[in-house]
Amino acid sequence: MGLRTGIRTGLIAAIVTIFLILIGVHMLMGRLLQSWFYVPAHWPGVWLMVVLLGLWAGSRAVGQMKARSWGNTLLAGASAGIIQGALVGAALYLLASITQAGVDLRAWLTQMSQESIAALTLGLAPLPAAGFIGGVLLVSAVAGAAWREWRLRVHAARLARGERTVSLRERLLEIPAVAQVSSNPLSRRVLMGVFMVLLLIAPFFLGQYWNYNLGTVGIYVILGLGLNIVVGMAGLLDLGYVAFFAVGAYTMALLTAPQPHHIQMSFWLALPIGVLLAAIAGILLGIPVLRMRGDYLAIVTLGFGEIIRILSKSDVLTGFTGGPRGVRNVGHPVLFGKDIGNEFYFFYFILIGVILAIIITRRLEHSRVGRAWRAMREDEKVAQAMGIYTLKYKLMAFAMGAAMAGFSGAIFASRNSFTGPEDFVLLVSINVLALVIVGGMGSIPGVILGAFVLKGLPEILRELEDYRVLVFGALLVVMMIVRPQGLWPASRPQLERPRPEEEALEEAPAELVEGEVGS
Amino acid sequence: MNILELHGVTKQFGGLVAVSAVDLEVPQGSIFSVIGPNGAGKTTLFNCISGFYRPEAGRIIFDGVSLVGLRPDQIAALGIARTYQNIRLFGRMTAIENILVGQHSRLKSGLAGALFRLPRTRREEQEALDKAHQLLDFVGLSGYGDMFAHNLPYGQQRRLELARALASEPRLLLLDEPAAGMNPRETEELMAFIRRIRDELHLTILLIEHDMRVVMGISDIVAVLDFGEKICEGTPQEVRCNPRVIEAYLGKGVA
Amino acid sequence: MKERKVSLGLLLRLGIGLLVLAFFAYRFYGVLARQAYGAETWARLAISGLIIGSVYAVIALGYTLVYGILFMINFAHGEVMMIGAFAGYFVLEAFAASGFSARQPVLAILITFLAGMTVSMLVGISLERIAYRPLRGAPRLVPLISAIGASIFLQNAAQLMFGSMRRTYSNPPALERNVGWVLDVAGKPVSITYTGVLTFAFSVVLMIGLYLLVQRTRLGRAMRAVAENKEAAALMGVDVDRVIANTFAISGVLAGAAGVMWGLHNGIIYHYVGFIPGLKAFTAAVLGGIGNIPGAMLGGIVLGIAESLAPAVLDMPFQLKDVLAFAVLVLVLIFRPTGILGEVLAEEKV
Repeated sequence: MGLRTGIRTGLIAAIVTIFLILIGVHMLMGRLLQSWFYVPAHWPGVWLMVVLLGLWAGSRAVGQMKARSWGNTLLAGASAGIIQGALVGAALYLLASITQAGVDLRAWLTQMSQESIAALTLGLAPLPAAGFIGGVLLVSAVAGAAWREWRLRVHAARLARGERTVSLRERLLEIPAVAQVSSNPLSRRVLMGVFMVLLLIAPFFLGQYWNYNLGTVGIYVILGLGLNIVVGMAGLLDLGYVAFFAVGAYTMALLTAPQPHHIQMSFWLALPIGVLLAAIAGILLGIPVLRMRGDYLAIVTLGFGEIIRILSKSDVLTGFTGGPRGVRNVGHPVLFGKDIGNEFYFFYFILIGVILAIIITRRLEHSRVGRAWRAMREDEKVAQAMGIYTLKYKLMAFAMGAAMAGFSGAIFASRNSFTGPEDFVLLVSINVLALVIVGGMGSIPGVILGAFVLKGLPEILRELEDYRVLVFGALLVVMMIVRPQGLWPASRPQLERPRPEEEALEEAPAELVEGEVGS
Repeated sequence: MNILELHGVTKQFGGLVAVSAVDLEVPQGSIFSVIGPNGAGKTTLFNCISGFYRPEAGRIIFDGVSLVGLRPDQIAALGIARTYQNIRLFGRMTAIENILVGQHSRLKSGLAGALFRLPRTRREEQEALDKAHQLLDFVGLSGYGDMFAHNLPYGQQRRLELARALASEPRLLLLDEPAAGMNPRETEELMAFIRRIRDELHLTILLIEHDMRVVMGISDIVAVLDFGEKICEGTPQEVRCNPRVIEAYLGKGVA
Repeated sequence: MKERKVSLGLLLRLGIGLLVLAFFAYRFYGVLARQAYGAETWARLAISGLIIGSVYAVIALGYTLVYGILFMINFAHGEVMMIGAFAGYFVLEAFAASGFSARQPVLAILITFLAGMTVSMLVGISLERIAYRPLRGAPRLVPLISAIGASIFLQNAAQLMFGSMRRTYSNPPALERNVGWVLDVAGKPVSITYTGVLTFAFSVVLMIGLYLLVQRTRLGRAMRAVAENKEAAALMGVDVDRVIANTFAISGVLAGAAGVMWGLHNGIIYHYVGFIPGLKAFTAAVLGGIGNIPGAMLGGIVLGIAESLAPAVLDMPFQLKDVLAFAVLVLVLIFRPTGILGEVLAEEKV
């Protein structure tokens, strides 16, 4: 029993370990430790990863077992470790000996530089290096297995004594101050107020770079709130959302830039036109595609997004859109004769946009329209049977989302003074989708949190830059499996009026009232 | 006077004829039951009436208006509401919100009203909420209003679905096996409640059910469907004694 | 009495369809009248369309198989193909360096295909196990988002591992690209490349193999049963999980073969190489009627030829070839969502 689980887990762990080494995560760990904790070399980070993976393998093997005993545990841990160690060792032997023969592996495996392999061999010859890494993995797997067994036993003993496990949230709420703040709406407002004030004065203290990045986060919040209407509320998976961002940006660019059209309209006029055109584009695109079933819609909108990009890149439209070179010298907003087109002013401008978007979303969410959207998301056919003309409401959602995307696109183009086809790759759509899903579909604070996590955090963790998109992809999968409602799920509206003579609430079982998370 | 008339309604899927030349005349204010074994075409009939299927042939007249070719939402707005055999609530919306969605076709406010919080919209929302509370009380769900529909126990979900259907102020209520999954005592209570709905709200009820005993007590008229065809119609007494019904349906040891 | 109102929507769609057709005819007439292209160009375009179309068909089969059973679009299918292409690339690199592909070209190609197919199969199986199986029974949007995530993940993993440069397949000397038999069309040479013939022939073999597998074997029967009704199949003793895993394995094998064919015939691969062919193959599957195996084959070939000929027929820049495939997708979904061979599904849940 322990042996089979161990071998299977060891195999999986070996594949994961080799994969992480091949994409260079060990070096990333090394560099992270170096730059954050002032570790003098990067091998400690590299080996931290190796040891952690060994611990994980052992612990996972034990977690998978049904019948546990110390003997079985050690057997599982050891077999997992041996398999993991042997396979990873063999891979390292192969890589190291090829490198030693003077072949530069980077021609095929870009992360496998001399330095990267040396961090794993620690200067040893291929065979002893392979033996060493195998040994380390074996020892850590056994340790991991033992640790897990011990934890499980402690846990079981605690359960036997009748103690129940306490979640972090409950522990936090036990602190009187925290409980008071979280239950009192006034103190929540005060907290929000402090946060707002901090945001308002932040640009005075942050440099140009951070003002720019905060502005970008803001633009993505607006984009996210727009897509949240389409995906989160109306349940329409739009993968070509970037197309409307492009419509807004190109409208701003073509109307205000000297080239290629020489219109040079004012920013303030171009902005509403951009929003309007994006909304119209949303409706025009929506009319043919919104009759389709959900998954077809996803792929068709994706196709449309690509069509827009290919067209803007091709020579066909060069005369009209500037072709692959894009549009330069996009106009800036001018207020009272003053050009306010720098990061500092744009920050406030975007902040106003964000607040506006929040107000719009909030007002719509709990209106007749918002309810119709959410009903459609839950069950389109039933929504129709309730009298909702689904096509009309889908178009409305598409148009609203597109308008918000158009707004952010226009600002984006003006702030960068430039726009071109490369601003509108599929990745932008994916980015926005990821932040809506990670934050919480249909949840306004969720979208804001998502934008900060997925757009702001990578700016702080510059070392992770190369791995950002990989993590987005993984996050989409993991969130769907582990927490589909997102980090900050949408809250339930409290509409029922308290009626003192009714005691139904007390009759309702507690878990029913509490349970927000369901199938 | 008949509120709903079906004349020769036929619906087929590929080669399979699900409903074949069915005629029904549902008098205003009655409780009309359509019964038949599983797969007899009862739900298909409902889908034809509520506009999800377009029958290949036949006419469906609701209060003088032909329903064939209308969209489901238009039919709902005319005053036909329905429930489902396997409860289909809006799971991640609260009970009250479910009822508010039910009122959709009776409300008017649109985008502008919501965005600018127009006084008219606010008043309308207030009234809608009042009505939702009344309905919540009516079906005995007060106290559960702010819970997500999918967190409600089964019995409450059934009642919420009824409340949602009633919220659209229908003149005709289509109930698709409302007693499915209930024990005999609950079923009896439900039937009494259905009669109460008819009497207090003055509407017509069209009910489908595969277990004929369930509807015998409350139905004014019963029609029996088998393999898509109406094999007989009449008062519960008449239907019970009809030899074709006994052969096709009750013959399985229930008679 | 049969009563049928002609709806406005139907008229509108018919009208638009006729307009589009008339426009096509007009452009085509212009091209023919100018004699812009000689017969040899048309022949060349048709042949290259047929070859690419057969690759689309093989990829499309993977989409259709999975859709037929799970009713979900396996968004990451194109990436499975890309990884197969890379696996084949590495094997061929090794063979080229060791001189094996010069000595034993047939064996080398065989092993290359086997490697690509095996790796893709493993990726396909893991994909199902990790990203889709835990989500069975969840609302439709959920597995779809997971599939998109998996697609992005695989694409970027490949980019991180192999870099973003374009790599050239090192074909064995006997199977050089752009070399082949030369036909004579209207006095001009039209070459039929060896790689093209191999691609087409192997595609046909794969399609026949798949057809036999689905129609004649126990696994095929189980697959059809699960596609028809999961609960009923489970009650009849079919291990639904295993059948689904096998379906992903088969679609992975097909994708891997397509990846190697793509590499051998087109020569260039990189981490993004699966994306556009994946989308086009999906279009092909929809065009033929998704869930329908002969439909996917037909759709692939039709799409390949259409996209190859269309720029010439419509007299538009060849740059816009990719736009055309998407346009076909949108048009099919609007005018005939069931595709060419798709039948109307029986009682849809309403």
